[in-house]
Amino acid sequence: MTETATLAGRLRVRPHLWLLVWRGAFGLGLLLAAILAGVVIGETPLPVATVTAELANKLGGAGFPVDPIDAAIVWNYRIPRILVAAACGAGLALSGVVLQALIRNALADPYLLGVSAGASTGAVAVAILGVGGGTLGLSTGAFIGALLAFALVSTLARAAGGGSAQLVLAGIAGSQLFNALTSFFIAKSANAEQARGIMFWLLGNLSGVRWPDVALAGPVALAGFLACCWHIRALDGFAFGAQSAAALGIPVRWVQAVLIGAITLMTAVMVSLVGSIGFVGLVIPHAVRLAVGPRHGRLVPWSALAGAVFLIVADIASRMLIPGQVVSIGVVTALVGAPGFALILIRSRRRG
Amino acid sequence: MFVRFLTAALLCATGFAPPVTAGAQYPLKLQNCGVDLTFDQAPDSAVTLGQAATEILYSLGLAEKVTATSVWFTEVLPEFRDTNAGIERLADNDPSFESVVARKPGLVAAQYEWHVGPQGIVATREQFADVGIPTYVLPADCWHKDNASGSDGTRSTMFEMQSVYAGVNELGRIFDVPERAEALVAQLQAREAAASDKAKALNLQDASAVFWFSSAEMDVDPYVAGRKGPPGYLMAKLGLRNIVESDEEWPAISWETIARANPSIIVIARMDRRRYEADDHEKKIAFLKSDPVTRQMDAVENDRIVILDAHAMDPSIRNIAALETLAAALPVLGLR
Repeated sequence: MTETATLAGRLRVRPHLWLLVWRGAFGLGLLLAAILAGVVIGETPLPVATVTAELANKLGGAGFPVDPIDAAIVWNYRIPRILVAAACGAGLALSGVVLQALIRNALADPYLLGVSAGASTGAVAVAILGVGGGTLGLSTGAFIGALLAFALVSTLARAAGGGSAQLVLAGIAGSQLFNALTSFFIAKSANAEQARGIMFWLLGNLSGVRWPDVALAGPVALAGFLACCWHIRALDGFAFGAQSAAALGIPVRWVQAVLIGAITLMTAVMVSLVGSIGFVGLVIPHAVRLAVGPRHGRLVPWSALAGAVFLIVADIASRMLIPGQVVSIGVVTALVGAPGFALILIRSRRRG
Repeated sequence: MFVRFLTAALLCATGFAPPVTAGAQYPLKLQNCGVDLTFDQAPDSAVTLGQAATEILYSLGLAEKVTATSVWFTEVLPEFRDTNAGIERLADNDPSFESVVARKPGLVAAQYEWHVGPQGIVATREQFADVGIPTYVLPADCWHKDNASGSDGTRSTMFEMQSVYAGVNELGRIFDVPERAEALVAQLQAREAAASDKAKALNLQDASAVFWFSSAEMDVDPYVAGRKGPPGYLMAKLGLRNIVESDEEWPAISWETIARANPSIIVIARMDRRRYEADDHEKKIAFLKSDPVTRQMDAVENDRIVILDAHAMDPSIRNIAALETLAAALPVLGLR
């Protein structure tokens, strides 16, 4: 009774709650539409009827007759691919939100920390140097490389004083080091096909995604999202600087450690699953900030959603740009992201 | 010189002389992948960049002229195992420019233009020419083929064995053993005709195939044979339709596209290299049989999977052995 009264009271006081519900429904609808589009559109088009029939079979136990190969493609290739794309998009966008808040640098994104460069080096080490003697996949190599890179960068930043500027500089140093190592390994190799296999992976590729990848990417993205939600107030605080955050009673070091740890893990997992997909963490938070403002209460959920939808759409575009051929998804995100990056640069110059 | 003249004269007299050997062969002028070459005499030695070039020289009985080799894909042909063991291998992959030049070879024979072409990974042909070393690129890599586009180049017309035979004949002329080259070509052509007759006898009407080379990771888009490379030629000779429609040499095509095209047979490459998980042909088979989509393909369900040497899928004299292997495998697969 009291509960309903309170709710009613709150509804009277906050009429924009309906707006919130409406927006939430809109966002989820957008996500579902993107997912459906991603399943229907592919290198070879599948009829919507086939897709919906197979979905009804799997989810509702309906017994529609569907060609077994088409059915397996829908259920085992396309749905996992789209779900992982969504998880990666959300994860990378959230990483950007967190880093931009913590470092107070408009250009911060996971790549700044050298995580991506480290992942590339790890994958290349496995592919070209044969590290692991065939027992490690490119993904495992990428994951180890990403974690090593972050460990190195954060150690360096701490040794340099531990401020956000130090982290940015250490990230740049780490990126350069790992990019150089990657180039060195590629130069050592000689085979065009090999170099091509690496490119295939370095530029991002979702073609190998299956259900086990969903089981990894989904929970990791969700955990990252919850970690961000948990620290929304802290993130708002950090936007005014670490000192202001401390003045607000936020345990600065601890929150920094938790959030950076969370996004590093998230980025490492995502990059190891689908390769280096750039610009999502950089551009999405900025675009969302333009639409919903700088408060993290809105920025966090909308960035996650926008990142998910963006990567699904980028994946669809990657399959449609050249008929019969898949363009690396990293190429698509960069084609959209690089102009976005330029806009951010110009805007930040105007402000600064 | 006098001895050679005498031999030629004798051969002429007995009527066995192939037309090109008649008269003075040198100076020998030829056009090779857009470069004019002139040989005043047979080169005294050669360094090879590429296994296909190496094995042609061995097959021509020129092993004693080969001072160093490089760019190996798989084990040497069994008949040359002993010969090859005694010859230095500069690198399994690309050697450096200096290591090649240091051998002071009379000729650098390359399988691929990208080793010595405009973007030569080892060096450009001009760089070799500057230090007085002529370079020869096997015509199979430049006949109707643009190496500046596509990851492994793009062919404007279907690969033909004629381009491999041209390489054999020209190397034979360069090293002044044209009759050996012609004998080798004649032998390869006979084997080619026999294998293709055998396949034609099957009278395949609606059979198709995909050639899977490798994949960057086990279940990502595999590298498969495009329409116009040697596998395209093999398929055409055997009456098989390539389900891949790309003109690239080795495009990456998704499994969903392959599965929906549902080829009658899957040809998979066997190689020594173990850089990608899918290099291992056993793992390729395991994947095909376990993946929920690929295991439903007709070729997998009916076990119509043929294993072929990877190097035999590149332009080389080994294409003929590949043709024979496939022609021998087809009858037992029960295709129509």
